[in-house]
Amino acid sequence: MEKQTEGDIFLELLHNIQMTYGYIPEGEINRLAEKLDRPRAEIYGAIKFYSMFYTEPTGKYIIRVCDSLSCHLQDSHELLESLKSYLKLDDGETSPDQLFTLEVVECLGHCGEGPVMMVNDRMYTELTPGKALEILKECK
Amino acid sequence: MVKEVEFLKGPELKNIEDYDFPGLHWALSLGPDKLIKEISEARLLGRGGAGFPTGTKWDLARQQKGDRKYFICNADEGEPGTYKDRYLMEQRPLKVLEGIIIGAYAVEANHGFIYIRGEYSRPIKIMKNIIEEAREAGVLGENIFDSGFDFNLRLVRGAGAYVCGDETALINSIEGKRGISRIKPPYPIQKGLFDQPTVVNNVESLACAAEILNKGAGEFASYGTENSRGTKLISLSGDVNYADIFEVEFGSCTLREIIEDLAGGVKGGREPKFVVPGGLSTAALTAEELDCKYSYEGIEEAGSSLGSGAIIVCRESRDLVDILLKVSRFYMDETCGTCFPCREGNRQINHMLTQHRNRTFSREEVELVEDIGEAIASAARCGLGQTSLSLISSIFDKFPHELIEEGVRT
Repeated sequence: MEKQTEGDIFLELLHNIQMTYGYIPEGEINRLAEKLDRPRAEIYGAIKFYSMFYTEPTGKYIIRVCDSLSCHLQDSHELLESLKSYLKLDDGETSPDQLFTLEVVECLGHCGEGPVMMVNDRMYTELTPGKALEILKECK
Repeated sequence: MVKEVEFLKGPELKNIEDYDFPGLHWALSLGPDKLIKEISEARLLGRGGAGFPTGTKWDLARQQKGDRKYFICNADEGEPGTYKDRYLMEQRPLKVLEGIIIGAYAVEANHGFIYIRGEYSRPIKIMKNIIEEAREAGVLGENIFDSGFDFNLRLVRGAGAYVCGDETALINSIEGKRGISRIKPPYPIQKGLFDQPTVVNNVESLACAAEILNKGAGEFASYGTENSRGTKLISLSGDVNYADIFEVEFGSCTLREIIEDLAGGVKGGREPKFVVPGGLSTAALTAEELDCKYSYEGIEEAGSSLGSGAIIVCRESRDLVDILLKVSRFYMDETCGTCFPCREGNRQINHMLTQHRNRTFSREEVELVEDIGEAIASAARCGLGQTSLSLISSIFDKFPHELIEEGVRT
């Protein structure tokens, strides 16, 4: 049977690059273009399609708050407002010290236990503004 | 009182040493033809939202000739309100894996992928481990259980694009392109991943297939109605007392009973204002419309669709425009931008709603919503686009006295 390697899959390549650098630097895009024999513009265009890939450095902690309908009905708005004012960030912004990036996202698939937020890979459910701020205070 | 059933649900099943894959063994002994017949006789319909018969899909794919066939498990669950596939991957991952291998064997695909949305870090970790363990145990790889069947399964992480849940967009995404949908035909079964015959099945459909082979088509078909066989995992959320995954037999209860008996009723004890019966892309049903049977045909008769099985309940005091805005922002954000009516239409609707936070809509504006809805439904090429205004239109339709100037029409 033909042996395939994990490296063949473009999305997996990008995830791995991002794991190393925290984002996908231009140099890596050039290297990918060469390796895959595809135009740089095409690679860049594909990367930009996916909201979880970044071409600029982000904060050390990416805070994703779900504000889709189910979480919204569980007061995600209130959670979001308190995070915004605590972090002094708006949707998509990164703090000057590069510690936090705040993102308002669509459904995270924990609709029965909202409101929810993700801190990098970790999911926190049934949050209150108070609980969420405590979690952020631990992020250093 | 409605009772839950246990066909797909069950205790945590993660340890490969504790599981001997009875469904897969049975499938391998039947051979592809009889196994497909079993699935067809069970009349399993795809559980991702479109409801296409799984047996037919496998039968057509089996007849396709290609250098290489692919089998893909679609775990890009992203329809707001839906979390049943996450439940299956976290709680019953070995059943998911078993279903994938059975499906691949049925259509004679030697290569497969499971595409899991990037935000699902826990299911990704679990499935990654299971795939590795399965490889070591000989459940994946060459000559599976001495059957002569080879199957290589790989996991691909998505990266935050809801539209990749559409099978053709998902295929583009695995190919390393932007996750936009393709024009059909050719259907993926004919020309899919890397232009080869490809089957894409939802996680729950595959878990069903594994149980059908495990327990027999007879037991599966003993559940449900003539047109909706088996059971369904329901993801409940919103203004209910107890939001969770419930498994019900099709046709055994009404939507109202699910909300009252299983979900403990509406928070605060009142009637719901409306209920979304199948995820954000299905039309809302009002409190008076909830006595329909929970089955594909029952919900269709009530004027909506069972969709992915995500039930979202909204209580009486909710602000409709606020809800409409959330729904419209979702589609504005998640449209892939390929089909003009979907891209611009959803943006215009969002713009209009933003302007209306504190006032009612004119008759002309409501007609515009209808027009845009029709244009998108007929011109968009994927399911996301076609159904993007179902919920919004239905709310305008059912609550004119609250939304439209000077009250009532028709």
